[in-house]
Amino acid sequence: MTDQSVTNTHGVPMPKHIISGLKYLAAVELRKNNFTQKEIAEKLEMDRSTVSHYLNGRNISWHSIEIAEIIRNFCPRDFSTLTYALLQDKKKTRTIVKICSNKMFKCMVKNTCIGCGVCADACITEAIVLDDLEAQINSDWCCGCMICMEICPTKSIEIKEVEDDGDYRNY
Amino acid sequence: MMETTETIDQDKNISVQRTGEETRKLAFKNVLCTSCGLCEKICPVTAIEVEPAGATLEEQEASKIDIKEDKCVLCGMCACICPYNALEMEIDGKSVKDIEEYPKLLKSAEISEDVCVYCKACETACPRDAIVIARDLPERSKLVTGEIEIDKETCIDCGICEELCPADAITMEHKEPTADSPTVSSDIEVDKDKCVYCLICKKACPVDAITAACRQCSYGEYDLKAEDSEITGSTFIDEDLCVDCGWCEEICPVDAAKVEKAFEGTITVDQEKCQGCETCVMICPCNALSFPKSEESGGKPEKLHAEEKYCIFCGACEKACPNEAITVERTGIKSTPIKSKSWKTAFESVKGTSK
Repeated sequence: MTDQSVTNTHGVPMPKHIISGLKYLAAVELRKNNFTQKEIAEKLEMDRSTVSHYLNGRNISWHSIEIAEIIRNFCPRDFSTLTYALLQDKKKTRTIVKICSNKMFKCMVKNTCIGCGVCADACITEAIVLDDLEAQINSDWCCGCMICMEICPTKSIEIKEVEDDGDYRNY
Repeated sequence: MMETTETIDQDKNISVQRTGEETRKLAFKNVLCTSCGLCEKICPVTAIEVEPAGATLEEQEASKIDIKEDKCVLCGMCACICPYNALEMEIDGKSVKDIEEYPKLLKSAEISEDVCVYCKACETACPRDAIVIARDLPERSKLVTGEIEIDKETCIDCGICEELCPADAITMEHKEPTADSPTVSSDIEVDKDKCVYCLICKKACPVDAITAACRQCSYGEYDLKAEDSEITGSTFIDEDLCVDCGWCEEICPVDAAKVEKAFEGTITVDQEKCQGCETCVMICPCNALSFPKSEESGGKPEKLHAEEKYCIFCGACEKACPNEAITVERTGIKSTPIKSKSWKTAFESVKGTSK
């Protein structure tokens, strides 16, 4: 199948269009947390002028921002899997999701874990590594999609949403 | 996203692979499998089914084990417990045997060449043909007690010694006598590599033309040198074939072979239930089971004899026995240290009996 992307009225393919909306939301969020434009550009892998335009509401359609807003309010699984489907990159997915969402998760691995690595393969934010035949989950990076929990063959993973204490923001 | 794929080749070998953050590959070699069932027992996701061993004795269409690709998560436990190296797992091309955190069964077989006398008993006894003993023997001529010499002046070319020599060490150059050379032989030679100093020739010689020079008596001209009788050689154990059964250690007359077994245990036979079908004898890769030959021909076969010295307690016989006459109980398992709780539990779980 050839790539026949759906385009918007300006001829921009829809997926990219939505990514721009998400990046806009992330840029605004970072700005609120006193990141400089330079830092925002580095974090989101954008050039500084685009960041500047976005923060001033230029070069971005309001419609794409509206769509991005809707996506951001999806449940964690839908938000992160859709973002990953758009970006096709686990690290970028983690950056966008963790900045745009204010949800925090606590991840626990029980000692019934056999270290098969299925969860690490499935994790869309690369938050899981294996150490001494046991999965280690970085709670800061967890997007709460719960895919690992469901896929784990020994039901060894527990993910709980926790209160955002405000000062973690370890993007 | 990750995907698990399974392929089976014409030799009934199975390959299961998952590609994701890392590439995991589980390889099953059908020919090495004894259907002992340890993989099935340890698998945490019940992805493995071992076909009944009795059926595998005949040529079979299918592999000895079945790995369900929709269940297998490639954790590697089966590969780590298999005592026959029939299952191997690789992560990104590296065998889990070379990755420290994966436990390895502590089993080995070694032959000390400092002690070995190259008698080849272990090579003969090894049920897996895993041992090769190569030896260099000393020259036979250096080991015989003495040498003979024929005094050609005294010799009358009768050929009696040549005819009698049991080692064909004496050769006479027979010829027709001529006027200028009126003899029946042009020469007589002793092949010192063949002569064993039996002295039959000397005793038979009608003219006493043969002299004997003994190396051992003080009147002889020669002495036996210790280095002349030295036997050198080399030993080799094929680790792919060796199952650490202990035969070489048990049979070695000089204690040169040392075997470490991964499992400790017991094997018991219920003689009432045993019907003498010999399925167990055929399936055991360690020759640990046998039916002693009946004293009188046509007599009733003796009862099954199970020898723990040669048993590695894999349980293949127990699984194969159609009459449930054999009980294998594992009481101990030796492996490299295991940090993971679940792996520890899994390894411990193979202890006991399957009944």
